[in-house]
Amino acid sequence: MQLRSEKKNADMRGAFGDTLVELGKINGNIVCVGGDTTESVKTKKFGDHYPDRLFNIGIAEANLVSVAAGLAIAGKIAFASTYAAFLPGRCLDQIRNTICYPNLNVKLIVSHAGLTVGPDGASHQQIEDFSTMRAIPNIRVIVPADAVSVRQLIRTIANTPGPFYVRLARPSSEIIYVEDEISFNVGRGNILRDGSDATIISCGLMVTRSLKAADILERDEGISCRVIDMFSIKPIDKDLISRSGKETGAIVTAEEHNIIGGLGSAVAEVTAENYPVPMRRVGINDTFGESARDEEIDLLLEKYGLTTTEITQAVLECRSRSKR
Amino acid sequence: MAFSMRYLDLKQKIRDVRMLAIQGIAKAGSGHPGASFSAAEIMGTLYFRKMKHDHLNPQWENRDYFINSKAHSAPGFYATLAVAGYFSDDEINDLRKLGSRLQGHPVRYSDEEKDHSVPGVEYSGGSEGIGLSVSIGIALANKLDKKKNRIYTLIGDGETNEGQVWEAAMAAPKFRLDNLVAILDRNRIQQDGFTEDIMPLDPMRDKWTSFNWNVIEIDGHKVEQIIDALNKTSSVQDKPTIIIANTIKGNGIKHMANVPQWHGKAPPNKHTPLLLEELDSEFLIAPSIIAGRRENYEEKVRAAERGGADIIHLDVMDGKFVPNITFFADTIKKLRHITSLPFDAHLMIENPLEHIDEYIDARCDIITVHAEACDENIFTQINHKLLSNGISPGIAINPSTDLPDWIYSHLQNIDVIIIMSVDPGFAGQKFVPQILPKMALTNKKLRESGFKGYIEADGGIDATTLQQVYDIGARILVAGNAVYGSTDIHAAIIQLKHTANVALERRLLEHATKLGIRVDWMKTRKHILIPLANELGIEEEFYAIKE
Repeated sequence: MQLRSEKKNADMRGAFGDTLVELGKINGNIVCVGGDTTESVKTKKFGDHYPDRLFNIGIAEANLVSVAAGLAIAGKIAFASTYAAFLPGRCLDQIRNTICYPNLNVKLIVSHAGLTVGPDGASHQQIEDFSTMRAIPNIRVIVPADAVSVRQLIRTIANTPGPFYVRLARPSSEIIYVEDEISFNVGRGNILRDGSDATIISCGLMVTRSLKAADILERDEGISCRVIDMFSIKPIDKDLISRSGKETGAIVTAEEHNIIGGLGSAVAEVTAENYPVPMRRVGINDTFGESARDEEIDLLLEKYGLTTTEITQAVLECRSRSKR
Repeated sequence: MAFSMRYLDLKQKIRDVRMLAIQGIAKAGSGHPGASFSAAEIMGTLYFRKMKHDHLNPQWENRDYFINSKAHSAPGFYATLAVAGYFSDDEINDLRKLGSRLQGHPVRYSDEEKDHSVPGVEYSGGSEGIGLSVSIGIALANKLDKKKNRIYTLIGDGETNEGQVWEAAMAAPKFRLDNLVAILDRNRIQQDGFTEDIMPLDPMRDKWTSFNWNVIEIDGHKVEQIIDALNKTSSVQDKPTIIIANTIKGNGIKHMANVPQWHGKAPPNKHTPLLLEELDSEFLIAPSIIAGRRENYEEKVRAAERGGADIIHLDVMDGKFVPNITFFADTIKKLRHITSLPFDAHLMIENPLEHIDEYIDARCDIITVHAEACDENIFTQINHKLLSNGISPGIAINPSTDLPDWIYSHLQNIDVIIIMSVDPGFAGQKFVPQILPKMALTNKKLRESGFKGYIEADGGIDATTLQQVYDIGARILVAGNAVYGSTDIHAAIIQLKHTANVALERRLLEHATKLGIRVDWMKTRKHILIPLANELGIEEEFYAIKE
């Protein structure tokens, strides 16, 4: 697959806001519900274009997602957006009973997830959402890795009935994909780089780090790594995971999430049942984060084990246990 | 497509709902009778009278929405849907059963959930305090689509412990949702006990007023007050309305009423026949305002309302059909605006067809004409006019008249049959005892012929005769001098109700004895029976049970 060669950063939230405006023009049924964070999650733009279709519910997440459910009951495609710390953090029950159980057409698009929200500290660092969201029937869990993915995926899910949870990060991130070069299918992972000695499966901001880890491993150790962007955490691409285990003999996962219940767990579930191979999960080691200033974000990630080095070491460790 | 059900038809259907719900709960062995019964009039009035909906096309795009936030009232909600035609009554027997469409808490109907839900359910409830928020979303969407429909949300008082209710309370006025009507079932009981002990909620009206809602407070068991309140909401602009419906949890079954432990407990199956009999014995006290000395009808209507009358009986006499003259439609028209109590107009007039429009115009809720004053052809014309105006039609017979045979082919279109127990003409006459066997026989024949409406006893009804006519099936009890002959009208009405209640308890005890569960029934109904033990002559028996 052709990836972007020239280094450029872009804002995922901005991509979301722009795409929503674009979709809102085509489809008058798209509405948006915000929670006093419309400026930062970039849904304000949607409201600027379609003032009667953005509903700001204030700081009331339970009400926010329930209002979105009502809009969906009455036939709207409801985008509900605020900070990940509070959606799903403060409204798990409403998401479960009011959106997922009746399988409503609500799209929960959250931003500022993970440690990289930075200065606000652990209270705002959502690191349990993959785990809680994927345990609820009917909902699909999507974690785009860059702005290009965001645009494509938001278009796709707007046209796919039923509930979605989409997690975005606060910082602008390196663009990985070339626009229109690849399609994003819910339930399918994208192989960004093929390899034969190990597979790195990651999502979100850890995808660029995984690609770098693969470069380093090839350059320094002569290890050829397959890198998969598993943006669809649920449904997860079981075939691709099993096949990668079989073809490369080792799997490392990397995610900006607690290692319990997240992407690594989802991959391990598939691997254990279908084709067990040595595995390591890179993630936050079941601990809360802490504040870090914007210029310290890389240091913060390093402190909590979310680095290229962690990934390369994990690959080496798995390789040493691999039977091949 | 509104159901626009007539007053008495509505009352009957709500009675049917309660009967169906209690059967389901008893069969299931669990469920919430309390909440089902406190909200029975609210849901019934919405579905049978007020809401635009179509059971044959539940997804009809211009329908009014009903969101049941207090989803534990499921048995009552399901029964309401069944009576409204959404599914068959029999299915209530599957309540809460594995594989049943009637889940413990209702599930939004969809293709995927069609095995766990029934058409007409819009919202998956069960988690408290959420429905109002969802209704806001529905209301916003329907405003966006420029629809003229309404969104009705039933919320419980216990669930307003949830903070989310107040998030929603804040949001709805912000969006000026005048298409949203919340109805609060204020039964004052939640799972652990009385609301004011668990988490005080009063002053409820002030809370909602301060959140900028239009607030209307009513007796939630009086359908006429519910209708009145719902009608008032249509003139409110830019504000959501909340109707605080003061109700009694478990209303309809005396030993359940206002008793916290019946919040979520099923009655044993063996009690079902007794519970059904009690529900079927609901009666209406109808003071007749021509009785008593004073001619001030307004004052008499007001006094009856304060005294707890259920409906107002209006004896119209023209001096021709009967020798006396009382009042006509113009008087009724004047009385109409002073009360929301239903008007039961009893036309003792010649040529009723000629005058019927005047009484329709005066907004009577029930209009009864005399069999002696019309033939089948005239009756049919009157009946058609009444039905098309949403008025309960009745037919009356004098003590010496038998119900004409042609009546039997019109029973489906008759809500009430008055069997006079005095010759009409004057108030204060003595009850004709020969009427009792006639009433019993007529009642039996009518029921066998499929009559579902009310038998009304009129003339000489006092504490003694009331019990007699009640026991043989009269369910509207007109009382003249027994009410207005007293200096304390409130006490007089209470006395009449008390008499009926004692008669009912006696009847239920006899029934329980026949079923072989007398002692069990006495224990269950202890707090109702003990205060009446003397009157029922069961003091010794209670003493023996205690021993």
